[in-house]
Amino acid sequence: MTLEIKEMSKAYGGLTVVDRVSITMEDADIIGVIGPNGAGKSTLFSLVTGFLDGNGGDVVLDGKPLGNASAVERAQAGMVRTFQVPREFAHMTVRENLMAAAPGQGGENLITTFFRPASVARQEKEIAGKVEETIRFLKLGVVADTPAGRLSGGQKKLLELGRALMTGAKLIMLDEPFAGVNPVLIEELSQKIRELNARGIGFLIIEHDLGALSKLVSKLYVMDRGKLIASGEPAAVLSDAAVREAYIGGGAN
Amino acid sequence: MTGFAELLLSGVMSGLIIGLAGLAVTLVFGIARFSNAATGDTMTLGAYGALLGTTLTGSLIFGGLVGLLAGALAAVLSYVLVFRQLANRSPISSLLASIGLAFFVRAGLGLAFGHNQSVFQLDIVRPIRFLDLRIQPNDLKFAAIALVTLVIVFIILHMTPIGRRMRAVADNPLLARVSGIAPRPVMFTLWAMAGAVSAIAGIILGMKTVVSPEMGWDMLLPAFAAAVLGGIGHPVGAIVGGLVIGVAQELATPFVGFTYKIAVSFIVLLLVLLVRPRGMFGRVEGVR
Repeated sequence: MTLEIKEMSKAYGGLTVVDRVSITMEDADIIGVIGPNGAGKSTLFSLVTGFLDGNGGDVVLDGKPLGNASAVERAQAGMVRTFQVPREFAHMTVRENLMAAAPGQGGENLITTFFRPASVARQEKEIAGKVEETIRFLKLGVVADTPAGRLSGGQKKLLELGRALMTGAKLIMLDEPFAGVNPVLIEELSQKIRELNARGIGFLIIEHDLGALSKLVSKLYVMDRGKLIASGEPAAVLSDAAVREAYIGGGAN
Repeated sequence: MTGFAELLLSGVMSGLIIGLAGLAVTLVFGIARFSNAATGDTMTLGAYGALLGTTLTGSLIFGGLVGLLAGALAAVLSYVLVFRQLANRSPISSLLASIGLAFFVRAGLGLAFGHNQSVFQLDIVRPIRFLDLRIQPNDLKFAAIALVTLVIVFIILHMTPIGRRMRAVADNPLLARVSGIAPRPVMFTLWAMAGAVSAIAGIILGMKTVVSPEMGWDMLLPAFAAAVLGGIGHPVGAIVGGLVIGVAQELATPFVGFTYKIAVSFIVLLLVLLVRPRGMFGRVEGVR
């Protein structure tokens, strides 16, 4: 897959929170986006996933410009995001959460459900198979029938990743996947991300845990006050003076 | 004692009708997120549809199906023409529009069918004697229809892909969108279901009593009360809530008189909102 985020911008009145940010991903890659709080990272994700309408810019996924496609259309095109604070269908079980996200369900309406029950049942079986696979992959077996609202923070992060996988996403955008997650699970999550990337899924990751992130990504983009201020290999970027200034603050050395 | 039991029984019957109407209210509220004041008049429309269908085909069953389809179609149309246009505005816009729609439907039915009461020609059957109780065989059929309706709604919501998606949208609309769940099939199904359920409630009410343009509007407050009592967005809760209100209304009749029994549902509604706003089965909204 390829991704081109072209000159994305968002302004509220006179305040530009995302200022002509461009990010390119050639081939399925793992790319990190870092920056201090309020740098516009999450807003960028919202713009890319069609959650917010931008003031200019475009996203090109696999050579196809998305223009002003809606959030649903972007998700169906293969771009799925997670959230800083994990979100889930709280009153549905883990299994149902995953099943709901599977695309192209023949039983999309009542008419097919009632008049073509056999084909709907076949598709259900297929989806259920994929769900079991995802549950095994993420080791969510013990909580498969638990309402998602009752999961621990770490389990919710895994479920978010699972939901993104079930949509058949080509690009998964993770918003602080390691926040509030214990070190063992961080290692495990990183491993899952690498495995999925090896299968051809691209990742764009916002994260404050620079240690874990720089081990994972091939490239870092740094945002500060809405602008991209640096990009490149993690080691090079992190030793950049301007980045240290913006990210760690003036007092540090 | 027999008197009490018979009041209880007739309370259960009206409770099932109120519960079905409450079910329609709660379905729409859970997914489209507003209180649909046109629910009552969709009931009326269903009853007139059934009346017309019965006259044309001579069969109560076909007539009932005509009424059911009329209700479903009207509800889907109301979504396409009105509520979809208001979907991105505050829920108050939809609520107000639904009140307008309710007036429109009622006036339209009055214009088309007149304001006189009409009745279904049901065969008169000797009541069944059970212990000391007289039970109308038709009531048993109506109760069965109400329960089958509830079961079908439950099956659709919990055992079909579209139902799963409906619950996902009800649970977290924003997450549903980013997960690629298209809203349109969900909304069409929701409105068709809510319309059909309302129509069934209206048809049963019409068969048990009389059909008039105002019949459904009078059911709106009890229906809202049932939905709130059961916990808004909770289908089984709506039916149980309806039963509680129906029974409370009937049992109160000897004390407050027939005219004021509707006040009972208002009192129940007030008490629930004051004491347990999330209802019997409900969950706290907005805390995630």
